[in-house]
Amino acid sequence: MTEVEETLKRIQSHKGVIGTMVVNAEGIPIRTTLDNSTTVQYAGLLHQLTIKAKSTIRDIDPQNDLTFLRIRSKKHEIMVAPDKEYLLIVIQNPCE
Amino acid sequence: MPTSPSGSRKSVSHLAVLQSKKSISFTEKAKEALKKGFSGVNQSRMGVSRNLVILPEMKTTEKVNVPGPKTVQVLDENGVDVTPRPLYSSDPGAAKPSKLLSSQEGSLGSDIMASYSMYQNTLNPSVMGQFTRSALGSSTISKSSISATESMAEDLEEPSYKGEKLASFTGVMATTWDLYDSFDALKLSSSAGKRYAVESSSKANVLPKERLEQKLPAALTDKTSETSSLMDLENVILSKVHEDEEDHAEAIFKSDKFLQDLFFMERVLMENIFQPKLAAYRQLPILKEPEPEEPKEFSECVKVEEVEEVKEEEEEIEISEEQTIPANLERLWSFTCDLTKGLNVSSLAWNKLNPDLLAVGYGHFGFKEQKRGLACCWSIKNPMWPERVYPSPYGVTAVDFSIGTPNLLAVGYYNGTIAIYNVQSSGNVPVLDSSESPQKHVGPVWQLQWIEQDRGTTGDDKREFLVSISADGRVSKWVIRKGLDAHDLMRLKRTTVGSNKKGGEKDKKGEALISRQAPGMCFAFHPKDTNIYLTGTEEGHIHKCSCSYNEQYLETYRGHKGPVYKVTWNPFCPDVFLSCSADWGVMIWQQENFRPFLSFYPTTHVVYDVAWSPKSCYVFAAANESRVEIWDLHASTLDPLIVNVANPGIKFTTVLFAKHTDCLLVGDSDGQVAVYELRNMPTASDCGRVRLKQKTESFTQGWCHMPVSQHLRRLRQEDCECEAKLSLSLSFSLSVALSLPLLSHTCVCLKSTQL
Repeated sequence: MTEVEETLKRIQSHKGVIGTMVVNAEGIPIRTTLDNSTTVQYAGLLHQLTIKAKSTIRDIDPQNDLTFLRIRSKKHEIMVAPDKEYLLIVIQNPCE
Repeated sequence: MPTSPSGSRKSVSHLAVLQSKKSISFTEKAKEALKKGFSGVNQSRMGVSRNLVILPEMKTTEKVNVPGPKTVQVLDENGVDVTPRPLYSSDPGAAKPSKLLSSQEGSLGSDIMASYSMYQNTLNPSVMGQFTRSALGSSTISKSSISATESMAEDLEEPSYKGEKLASFTGVMATTWDLYDSFDALKLSSSAGKRYAVESSSKANVLPKERLEQKLPAALTDKTSETSSLMDLENVILSKVHEDEEDHAEAIFKSDKFLQDLFFMERVLMENIFQPKLAAYRQLPILKEPEPEEPKEFSECVKVEEVEEVKEEEEEIEISEEQTIPANLERLWSFTCDLTKGLNVSSLAWNKLNPDLLAVGYGHFGFKEQKRGLACCWSIKNPMWPERVYPSPYGVTAVDFSIGTPNLLAVGYYNGTIAIYNVQSSGNVPVLDSSESPQKHVGPVWQLQWIEQDRGTTGDDKREFLVSISADGRVSKWVIRKGLDAHDLMRLKRTTVGSNKKGGEKDKKGEALISRQAPGMCFAFHPKDTNIYLTGTEEGHIHKCSCSYNEQYLETYRGHKGPVYKVTWNPFCPDVFLSCSADWGVMIWQQENFRPFLSFYPTTHVVYDVAWSPKSCYVFAAANESRVEIWDLHASTLDPLIVNVANPGIKFTTVLFAKHTDCLLVGDSDGQVAVYELRNMPTASDCGRVRLKQKTESFTQGWCHMPVSQHLRRLRQEDCECEAKLSLSLSFSLSVALSLPLLSHTCVCLKSTQL
């Protein structure tokens, strides 16, 4: 547990990280550094996208599975580590 | 009531079977009723499952509906539509029963898939039951049934339904990976259902309806026991809704997968932050970040293109300029964190198997400066936090990774203990420790190395053992059997000082009966013959020893006036070795000569570490207190090629070359290990090896292609060497007496020739 906490703290304090959130399968934020409305919005949208991405991967090869998702935009990079039980989302601004 | 839902499923499937026989179609009346029914059912999700239990009602309605060919509708006492929906489930793997988040993709279902998914249903409920992890277990089944009927209702082509599908399940159709998942899951879950699962899942797309219908009830009978237990489970889950949610959060944090995901996330972040530096390390092209620009019009787009062209031209100019830029060290990044601040880096070692893994030992050199020590394993992929941290109360003075078992890290401490850690495990405790061993060292272990030796005589494969040298004057060989077993390879005896004779001879006064040990500082095994090794002592002597004799030295090389901190063989020329010492000097020796071939005194600071470059036989790096120097003997033997000065207050204490890239790691006294890239190094020519051999074997000139000035310099040096052979002690004493701050070699030469 403490190792998890430490790693989370380190991730949150890294250069350029705007927000970190852990959302459970229902979309309820368990741990977040952003405000609730933003978190819920991100969680909802990214959940849908993750499902779509996952079904894409698996349609191509059913033995394959999605492990990580990175979306790079003009302003940020959004990194999602999906799982059956949770979504780990980190938003980073890599330009800084 | 565990049995009834399963019973209801049976009858549902039966109903479905009936329906399929007749073909699925609805009357217009039913459409409206269904419409209402849908809205009603959508709202009462939790209620539906319980209402599915209604056996007798269904039967009555069945009877009612059979004559009406197209309507399937079940109404309970209150007129609420409780039409049993065929229990089909979407993929258990992907779709989560999340009310808030699941998108409605029911509209994407195709007719064919929907009907086939119906057949799929009967097998999947058990699977669904197993895989529903959320507290709302039973509601998922109801939801899936809703969406199934919705998909069935595709035939109706009512756009209004789509609005009501908003909060329904995703993935209405059974995709190929659904089949794979269910197949996989069934395989895992029960062996009884396997046969049916195999047949139905593999033939889902092809099988004619009748065969499936026959098989499905049979399959269901097998499943009843399972489903009943699953219903139990779901009831239990229902009752613990709130507690579960909290436990889930805890469970997520405790899961290994979460930790692994965090680990990967951190590495991805690092990659983003350090991308240019890591790319330079790995010699890849560097991605340039596109500048975030305001929304631009077409004309501005054109301008951007022009700017890009200009940039390309600039880059070309830069490249041509770089060719004239001299060789330099470019600092990429440094491994440092809060844990290591203020500690002195004492040793560096690469992992033999994973070239990205670096072991760093932190510990002070001096007796009075002793603080706690630390051994860390860093990875190139995460320069901001070490992968493993092994703290200790004593300073760490030596680290080395094993060759045969690359996950073992040997750590030597200031108090003479040697500990072996397994870096694969995340614990802090050493696997083996020598603190209990009776043959442990009693002085700081200054160097550790794992050696693989051919045991050709006994017919074994290469056996690996650990060799350590310490200030108590012993070179020990440690073998891992039941613990750490030590065997002394050599006891370093003090030799008489100032004799010109070859080592080991006694003076007239005779050696004391109690011969004192000379503290050993470093050793180096010959790269080709692991029986021979060199040791450097605190006296300034370098002894050539053999594993076969543990009492005598084979040879002694005298030249240094202070403790020899590092001795290392040239990886390309097997006869040449390099040594550095506290007398400010770096010396190059040749195996047959007992006087140094070349010596350098670049500054008046102690030289802590030297290392040969793995890419060129002429290049080596030296770290003294104030600067790091890269020497290229091919270019010049008088001045270093690159000099990198330290920030004031910081001493450079260790150097290590990276094997496959042009990078150099430098550790300093502030706990930082900086990674530098060697740029614009002059390329070594092909016959480099031969040339160095010529240099060492003969004192005559051999390189006509060298520029004349350097040629002359070299000639002078060689002449000087000839004389130096005879009067090296004289020149040394001269230099010391004159106490010249900068002893360039030509000065010494000139003075000796004058004499």
